[in-house]
Amino acid sequence: MVERALNVFWILLGVGAAAHAWTIGLTGPSGPESGLFPLLAGLIVAGAGVALLLLPSHRASAPAWPRGTALGRVLGVVVGLALMAFAIPHLGFAAAAAITMIVLLRTVERSSWIGSIALTIGAVAGVMWFFGHVLGMSLPRGPWGW
Amino acid sequence: MKRSVFALALAAAVAAPVAAQTGIPKAVKPKDFPTQPIEYVVVYPAGGGMDVTARLLAKYVEKSTGDKILVNNRTGGAGMVGHTYLATQAKPDGYTVGVLANLVWGDAMLRGQGKWEYTDLEPIGYLNSDALTWVGPTDGPLKGKSLKEILQIAKDKPGTIRVATVPGSMWEYLLEQVEAASGAKFLRVPFQGGGAGINALVGGNVDIAQGFFAEFRGHLDAGKVAPLAVASNDRMPYLKDMPTFNEALGGKDYIWAVVRFVVVPKGTPADRKAYLAAGVRAAMSDPELVAEYRKAGVYFDPVLVNSTSIANDLNRYAERERVFYQQTGRLK
Amino acid sequence: MGALEGLATGFGVILTPANLYYCFIGSLIGTLVGVLPGIGPLAALALLLPVTFTLTPVAGLAMLAAIFYGAMYGGSTTSILVNIPGEAASVVTTLDGHQLARQGRAGAALGIAALGSFMAGTASLVLLTFFAPALAAIAIRFGPPENFGLMVLGLVCTLYMITGSAVKGVLTIALGFLATAIGIDVVNGRDRFTFGSVNLIAGIELLAVVIGLFGVAEILANVEHLARNTLLAERIRGLWPTAADWRASWRPILRGSGLGFLLGLVPGGGPVTAAFMSYAVERRIARDPARFGKGAIEGVAGPESANNAAVAGSMIPLLSLGIPSNAVTALLLGALVIQGIQPGPLFMTQRPDLFWGVVASMYVGNVFLLVLNLPLVGLWVQLLRVPYRVLFPIVLLLAVVGTYSANKNVFDLWVMLGFGVAGYVLRKLEYDLAPFVIAFVLAPLLEQSLRQSLVMSPDGAMILVQRPVTAALLAASAVLVVLMLRRKRPSKGGST
Repeated sequence: MVERALNVFWILLGVGAAAHAWTIGLTGPSGPESGLFPLLAGLIVAGAGVALLLLPSHRASAPAWPRGTALGRVLGVVVGLALMAFAIPHLGFAAAAAITMIVLLRTVERSSWIGSIALTIGAVAGVMWFFGHVLGMSLPRGPWGW
Repeated sequence: MKRSVFALALAAAVAAPVAAQTGIPKAVKPKDFPTQPIEYVVVYPAGGGMDVTARLLAKYVEKSTGDKILVNNRTGGAGMVGHTYLATQAKPDGYTVGVLANLVWGDAMLRGQGKWEYTDLEPIGYLNSDALTWVGPTDGPLKGKSLKEILQIAKDKPGTIRVATVPGSMWEYLLEQVEAASGAKFLRVPFQGGGAGINALVGGNVDIAQGFFAEFRGHLDAGKVAPLAVASNDRMPYLKDMPTFNEALGGKDYIWAVVRFVVVPKGTPADRKAYLAAGVRAAMSDPELVAEYRKAGVYFDPVLVNSTSIANDLNRYAERERVFYQQTGRLK
Repeated sequence: MGALEGLATGFGVILTPANLYYCFIGSLIGTLVGVLPGIGPLAALALLLPVTFTLTPVAGLAMLAAIFYGAMYGGSTTSILVNIPGEAASVVTTLDGHQLARQGRAGAALGIAALGSFMAGTASLVLLTFFAPALAAIAIRFGPPENFGLMVLGLVCTLYMITGSAVKGVLTIALGFLATAIGIDVVNGRDRFTFGSVNLIAGIELLAVVIGLFGVAEILANVEHLARNTLLAERIRGLWPTAADWRASWRPILRGSGLGFLLGLVPGGGPVTAAFMSYAVERRIARDPARFGKGAIEGVAGPESANNAAVAGSMIPLLSLGIPSNAVTALLLGALVIQGIQPGPLFMTQRPDLFWGVVASMYVGNVFLLVLNLPLVGLWVQLLRVPYRVLFPIVLLLAVVGTYSANKNVFDLWVMLGFGVAGYVLRKLEYDLAPFVIAFVLAPLLEQSLRQSLVMSPDGAMILVQRPVTAALLAASAVLVVLMLRRKRPSKGGST
């Protein structure tokens, strides 16, 4: 089911890209213009999507999608990363990373509170030290200055 | 080493107005600032001309003020990402400073889509300028020819002389102007930057390259390229035999140079802005920094060096560029 | 000054306590940076550039160069241990290296990677020592048509990396081309597929793609079964490569060295392309290609050697002509300029102390790295015993910082996440992801050089045949395609 939806997605993506590439311009006075390569690539993607829809032998055999707690863990990581990407500009790197790590450690795998906090502080501090001080990279700061 | 009167005058023009000021007067330093490192944003990749300029500046500002400065390359989109960041996202609290080139004006006018204006960035100091130069081959049929002769060949046999250009920026504009003025027609080979074009020239894949002195100096010393003309007001002190485009074509509009200056986002508090400006001035008055910049082949535009309001003078240049875009149909 | 004389000068320059110290520091940082996912030599060099201001040119350049090739040593570590590439040049090492680790043979994989890196690094340095000026003169003549020929050959080699469904393989390659279309079209300066977004104007960052597709996706796949505590499928068997491993590896190491060196030399090549092409070559040449992807030691030996040899290759245009062939050497050029030195064709004769000092430092650095990395193998292998639930948040944290370090743009983190989810789903549906990455790397230059060639040619496409090197590369590509199709036909229904 998922695979069939994906194949349809490829077709839509390929056709859409090819259509957009067409509007950019295909050839100019001295050969290909901006649109030519994306057009060809889009057509290939769409064509491959069609082929995959029609040829059962090329499909994956029984992909094992996660269920229950496994699915919860996978979603937990995804949400955790999204949270971090969202929070960094507002809270600064240190705070965002600490919150995300604690969330991941506690929910995705149920580590103890003490262990989680200790590990989080150690890891975030270590990263800030190595990247911030040793390498001199400026990591985003939160409203509280760090 | 002999120095021409011109070079001496130029040096005096640089030294005179800033000779009085070395180091920062204590009165200028605001309270509680800075408490953390100041970020100098460079919108081009590390190692390039802009980056080297910024890092040298940071080194000498640190020396004069004792503040810690971190140079940060926010790259992407040929500078667009960094420019947009500075104009729309950077906090105007004095901890973010941009080391920019006049290419930001083109980005704002032609590609900013109205989201920001170049006036969202306030200049606080001028660094140097780098004029675009044409160089030609030292072997092959074009060997030893002057710019005028090459233009004639390009006019008689259009599309046979290959020129390296960077689309969408001053390389292309200069080429356009020259073609329009002389009736010559070149074959434009696109590259990602001036340096790539010069490499192509040395490798025999193009006939003329456009670039800056720092980019072709090594090849010049080794006799692999020959300078043709420079797009500045006056001849360059390090290549006195090379004419300017103004001389060769008889005009005064063939000025294409990278002008490097320092900005802060609009809305930065006035005292912090003044402090940052003083830091830049102090660095620029250090003869060591001037010498390092000179080694890279830059020149110091007397108008900007002696400016009493750097923002106004730079904005005048920006508006002149806007006129060019309007005249050539790039801007409505 | 002859090569041997020059080397003697160089060693004289480098063998002082201060210079040796900075060479060592660079090696150490390079290893660390290579191990850490996301952050690569380019970011580390940019960050540490100011440190070189206070150093002598030799010390500064030796340190920076050591970071560059040091990262090639370290990059294989996480690839092998946790299936997450340390940086883009180590992506192919995950394919077989991690399988070896799962079989308890991480020590052998790490050992071969380290030793292969050392041998390739040193061998390519020897070639540099004796042939740098001549090679540089050839490299400079590589213009757009030659680049195009090379990229086409690289693309054909990519086809050899497709396992499983050919349709899916071609689809991922086409997707790679589509993905690189986002951004500024270099040839005419216009934006395409940016839809008004400033972030897209920059195009998609390779690092974010690699860490997402191979790092985040890997973690997502692993957290499904956290019941299994660690990554080891079997117990750890021995820490060193066996004689059989050596017999299998020495030829890939040789081939990888040569291939990597040549690919580093030409513009548009570099360690990433070298590693991918070496893997493809080894797969093509192997008597039993089905072993690849399941723990074939050749799949580690070849690419790891190739990426190290490519470093020496890419130093040649920089040192002999002052021309950088990739972003890292461009940075090294900047470092020299800041020190007041202008590399160019006269660099070797005007500053033999610096030229040969750097070359000598690279020999020394390779020794340092071997000494650093071999004993560490035992330590790294123990990392496999750490419970995954503790390991993965730390790795994620490092991945986030590493990806952020590329452009300091939070948008890249969203790209990383998006590609992570996509990679997770696609892996379940048996798509190969490595071809996407190599297509993503090759496509921009392939398109750009083709269009440049057509522009500069008075006879249009004929230029591709008129220039001998281009014609040879294109012919080789055609031959490879034919061979590949013929191989598939007799075994119809079987796997490639």
